Amino acid sequence: MRSELPVAQKNETPPPEPLPHLSIKGLGLKRNGRWLFRDLNWEVPRGSVVAVVGPSGVGKSSLLNCLAGLAEPTEGSVTFACNAGCLHKATGYQKRVGIIFQNLLLAQNSSILRNVLCGRLGRYPWWRTLFAFPRADKKAAVLLLADLGLSAHLHRRAGETSGGEQQRAAVARALFQEPELVLADEPVSNLDTYLCGRVLGIFRREAHEHLRTAFCVLHDPALLERFADYALSLDPTNPEKWRVREIHAASAN
Amino acid sequence: MQPPLIEPPAPSQERFDPPRIELKWHERLGVLNISLLLFLVAVVSSAGVLRGSGRDLDYLANIHRFLGSFFPPDFSVSGQTLIGLWETCQIAVMATAFAIVASIPIAIAGAQTLSPRWLVFITRLLMNGIRTVPSLIWALLAVAIVGPNPLAGVIGLTFYSVGYLGKFFSDAFESVDVDVARALRALGARTIQAFQYGLWPHAKPLVWSYSLWMLEYNIRSAAIVGIVGAGGVGLQLHTYQEYGQWNKFATVLLFMFLLVSALDLLGERVRNQIVRKVVSTKER
Repeated sequence: MRSELPVAQKNETPPPEPLPHLSIKGLGLKRNGRWLFRDLNWEVPRGSVVAVVGPSGVGKSSLLNCLAGLAEPTEGSVTFACNAGCLHKATGYQKRVGIIFQNLLLAQNSSILRNVLCGRLGRYPWWRTLFAFPRADKKAAVLLLADLGLSAHLHRRAGETSGGEQQRAAVARALFQEPELVLADEPVSNLDTYLCGRVLGIFRREAHEHLRTAFCVLHDPALLERFADYALSLDPTNPEKWRVREIHAASAN
Repeated sequence: MQPPLIEPPAPSQERFDPPRIELKWHERLGVLNISLLLFLVAVVSSAGVLRGSGRDLDYLANIHRFLGSFFPPDFSVSGQTLIGLWETCQIAVMATAFAIVASIPIAIAGAQTLSPRWLVFITRLLMNGIRTVPSLIWALLAVAIVGPNPLAGVIGLTFYSVGYLGKFFSDAFESVDVDVARALRALGARTIQAFQYGLWPHAKPLVWSYSLWMLEYNIRSAAIVGIVGAGGVGLQLHTYQEYGQWNKFATVLLFMFLLVSALDLLGERVRNQIVRKVVSTKER
């Protein structure tokens, strides 16, 4: 199906006018008889960092699940316009969506490196990854992990490392996918201020340089002001009172 | 005097019910106690089998005569016995290897977290069926098909082991959190990749530890299946027993005892080392 949306340019320079990447139409999710959010409409510009904010239990994770195609919305739809400009349903887009789960979901018995390599499983047929990943992928993964300060723990089992190290490994797995869309559920909850800045800085760089839209559940308002382009806040009292606020985080660039 | 931390409950106007020290007899009946009682009844009603042949035999003299004929063990058959034990081990190794390969797909079919309910039901039923038939009977069936040789032992033990390993492996797969594999599916991995990278790393230590246990078990069983003609050291046992050569019989028993105890000691340690990894992961 060809879209009526404008086709994104394939070159690396960001276009002057941000193109819609993700179109959310009338999205609503009902859980246990209660609407978490409703009538959510937003054309998310390509290459923006979106902070999802709101108190606990307001449905931030559920929203990300809907965007990832892991949960079926009660009403409305999410469609993606990929780099080539064609439209996808959420489930048809999963290979291009990098997810950082709240409980990380790393393979605890595998090494950090192997966990990160798993991000690229979708690129290869099963027989290609049966014994090992391509050497180039391994090198790239080592570089990415070094960027996140995990060089010392490459070959340690994920279960043996600390919470913060596991969290960075999960971030690395999602980024290693080179996804067009990153959905991160509290990606920095276990990290200190320095590492928070580093991880979110990478999200921001990926978003702006490679037009990878990122959705992050964030709690810290200071981080939000520094790294996000938009803040999407959900209201616990009124599911229809969601709000999108544009943030001019010029200082971070 | 300090005020009491918890207010004593107001005396109720209802009938005062003092706590009873003794429970009534029917209140003490749990599954534990009922089954204990049933077992006692079973013990009493089974006492009949203790009657023996009914003839007046001198048991002590019998023991003395029989065990006495074991000594001194005739070590002239040591070489033969070692060759037989070697064959026994070969039978066990081959049977275990075949069983591991066959059990993994069967275990996937039998794991509730991985397969549809009807398939799990059928697979478990099948494995239960296999387990109810003793290894000796499987070996007997195999001897009837391929003749009295080690191959029969391999076939018989393979069937028997699949019944056990299939069950153990599917338990191992079920004990693993499938969310990691689901997460990998969500990242675009195919089913086989999600299994290999999300589930297998966790199941592997368990699977391997069960396999080692099965190997131990099979070496013990393989010594026995020879009695029905399926090769290995059991064939010797059978011959010596037929001809009443108990001192040679004793030599074979002695060597078997040494092998099995060594395996037990070694196997247990290795298996503990392997599984410790999994346990420590789960505690997190």
